Amino acid sequence: MASLIPCPHCGKRPKEEFTVKGAVLDRPAADATPNAWMDYVYLRDNPRGRYDEYWHHTSGCRRWLVITRDTATHEIEASRDAALARE
Amino acid sequence: MSEFRITLRPALGSVTSIVSENIALTPLPEGHVVHVLGKPGDEALAKRLGSLSDGSAHAVRAAGPGQWFIVGNAAKSHADMTALFEALKPDAYGVDQSQGRVRMLASGPMVERMLAKGTAVDLSLTQFPLGHSTTSVIGHIAAHLTRVADDAFEIMVLRGFAESLWDDLAHMSAEFA
Ligand SMILES: [Zn+2]
Repeated sequence: MASLIPCPHCGKRPKEEFTVKGAVLDRPAADATPNAWMDYVYLRDNPRGRYDEYWHHTSGCRRWLVITRDTATHEIEASRDAALARE
Repeated sequence: MSEFRITLRPALGSVTSIVSENIALTPLPEGHVVHVLGKPGDEALAKRLGSLSDGSAHAVRAAGPGQWFIVGNAAKSHADMTALFEALKPDAYGVDQSQGRVRMLASGPMVERMLAKGTAVDLSLTQFPLGHSTTSVIGHIAAHLTRVADDAFEIMVLRGFAESLWDDLAHMSAEFA
């Protein structure tokens, strides 16, 4: 249980309780070009440093979170509920 | 009509309870478990749920934003369950999990140390007060924990995992029993 992920609802939990979906990207409009959809579905930047990722607290509150994580240091800067933060 | 009659057997019908001064582990009756799905932050609903439960202590347990479990030791008839679902509307939906989730009780002065072997949740009384609930993993099995006394936790788990989790908890309790 190395990495502890802060869940806004449950507190710090081991990463084993979560499922990572990947980069937080804006979904294109339904009628966007095939190229825009190709980018959205397949292409990723893989940055070194600050990164927004979707994490699902699968074995906890079952909420989708947005975690801001540094890919080099694994330090977590922010954690918020993906749906509630949008309201 | 099938030739075979389906009979409901308790998921933990064949286990032996652990009874000792420092740790105890026992299955709880498979009464009713109702999963309530409402809206996150609905304080009015949260307050109303107590009156829809059987009134026993800690009958309503938080299960993430906008979700709760209503539990009790007595089985509910189809009519009682339907009445409860109707009473929840329009703020929330109820799902009957009575045969889906199994409850067990772990208690004794060593209960926090026993559970801490399996979960990373901070179980100290200040962080996890009486009546507090959360879902976490115990080993690899997701389980819902509720503190029902200073030295007692109820553990609720999906039925298919109940025996496996029981075996893990018994193993974790062995040094204290
Ligand atoms: Zn959570």
